[in-house]
Amino acid sequence: MTRSKVISGLKPILFTLPAMVPFVLFWLAPLLYVLYLSFTEWDFMSPEKTFVGLQNYADLFSNPAFYKALRVTVLFCAGSVLPIILLGLGLALLMNRKLKGSALYQVLLFSPWVTPTVAVSIVWSWIYEPEVGLANTVLDVLGLEKIGWLQDPEWALVGVLLVTIWKSVGWAMIFYLVALRNVPSDLLEAGDLDGASAGQKFFRITLPLISPTTLFLFVVQLIQALQAYDQINVLTQGGPSGSTRTLLYLYYQSAFESFQIGEASSVAVVLVTICMLLSVFSFGVSRRTTHYQ
Amino acid sequence: MRILTRLGGPVRHLFFAALALLMAFPFYWMVTSALKTNDEIWRSPPTLWPEVPLWGNFAAAWNEAPFARYMGNSIFVAASIVILQIINSGMMAYALTHMKFRLKGLFAGVILFGYMVPATAVYLPGYLVLSELHLLNSYAGLILSNCVSIFAIFLIRQAFLQVSHELVEAGEVDGASHMRILWTVLVPVTRSSFAVLALITFIDQYNNYFWPMLITKNPDLQLVSAGLRSFFVEGGAYGLQWPLIMAASAFTIAPLLLVFLLAQKTIMQSVNMTAGSSKG
Repeated sequence: MTRSKVISGLKPILFTLPAMVPFVLFWLAPLLYVLYLSFTEWDFMSPEKTFVGLQNYADLFSNPAFYKALRVTVLFCAGSVLPIILLGLGLALLMNRKLKGSALYQVLLFSPWVTPTVAVSIVWSWIYEPEVGLANTVLDVLGLEKIGWLQDPEWALVGVLLVTIWKSVGWAMIFYLVALRNVPSDLLEAGDLDGASAGQKFFRITLPLISPTTLFLFVVQLIQALQAYDQINVLTQGGPSGSTRTLLYLYYQSAFESFQIGEASSVAVVLVTICMLLSVFSFGVSRRTTHYQ
Repeated sequence: MRILTRLGGPVRHLFFAALALLMAFPFYWMVTSALKTNDEIWRSPPTLWPEVPLWGNFAAAWNEAPFARYMGNSIFVAASIVILQIINSGMMAYALTHMKFRLKGLFAGVILFGYMVPATAVYLPGYLVLSELHLLNSYAGLILSNCVSIFAIFLIRQAFLQVSHELVEAGEVDGASHMRILWTVLVPVTRSSFAVLALITFIDQYNNYFWPMLITKNPDLQLVSAGLRSFFVEGGAYGLQWPLIMAASAFTIAPLLLVFLLAQKTIMQSVNMTAGSSKG
């Protein structure tokens, strides 16, 4: 091989290195490392890591706290993803017909999405203040009982979910608006000619055509929900009595508060596995059912 | 819903105006609470507008914690990450779309795999890796550990795929190097994707909290979210000085709302592109 050939063979490698080196260092290596750590017992301080095999997993799967966190995670996912998608779609449908000034509404509805979660969560923790907070004042005016939004284990998850939904619903709406605009009007007109009702047109034409957007929002929001940390940290820190402690929060607490690295790692591995299964599953679903044009 | 659409313009206007006000109300509440005295803010029922707006609360909050430093850190770190991501995702996407090499399939596969891994789940080992590299508590650690984004690579790859091969081949015939073709031919045609990438990345990184908080214990290196949070919890402020906390939240949020207002077209456009790149 001539020298110039070697150089031209190396070029693609040089082009990929700036992305691949940090990717391997901060993404791939940690992923393998966490798998290894999940088979060990370690407290962060001592020089030795003890290999314990599957012990951490056995402990985890027999720990009621794990199942409680799993339950909170499922509730958090369902309680954020479904409202965000349904409300986003509903609003987009309402806005899709010509409406003057809708650009202004879009900006206002979208604005929470660009703001730091920590800052808006702090604002919401003032709104949720039990005595004079805005939320309870409104309930009071309506003649309803005050709620311990972040103090009552029955309501704390609802409080966190409201902030989460508030932050993302405008974002989902914009995605749906784009998708709705791409639905060919001649298809809908053909539906009119065939005498289809508005409902039939929506379920038979519009909904299948925007299904890639629905799938995309579903996957992205689900992965976001599994990773939610900032708002939980500011609003409730997993409490009261674990009512807002998701798997991710459990992982954070066992790693950086109680320094049980092995246990924490096994929670991380479970979380990664769930995410990958969901991604693969939705990829499969998208191949079967979504309609790309 | 159908009833609403049938009733036509005015009713829908009323509906959206009310909804938009409701969505924006927390921001209004933040600013007006920031202007109240500690006495007034605890009054029930609350006042919609402070009796005497105390604009000095903003200055007081600003001086009570090093917010200039926090915001400077956030802007510096976010801007550095934006530049690095533009460079490395541009080069990576170029290699994936316009170069032929043996490991291409493997690299593309590894990146796709990375897309499925939630970043937060690997924070613990990521922390240990950074500590091995002696990058904890440093700007370099904050910047380098965030300098590659799979989303960015997908977005730019998608943009490059839409550029015709002939344009690149014409450059090759003229004897231009790959670097030259990438930065003087491809990037200018796909600049709107790069603008979207820069904006989204800047917003994300400015708002970043969990990871920067884990890897920097030095208060001088804190980003604005973590700084605000420590002001909220520590500074003796928790639950006692709500007006100052609201003022601090307001100037943390304000730059982003401003960026958003100035660049809303690009940001809204980003939705179109991310939806597009997700199909790729």
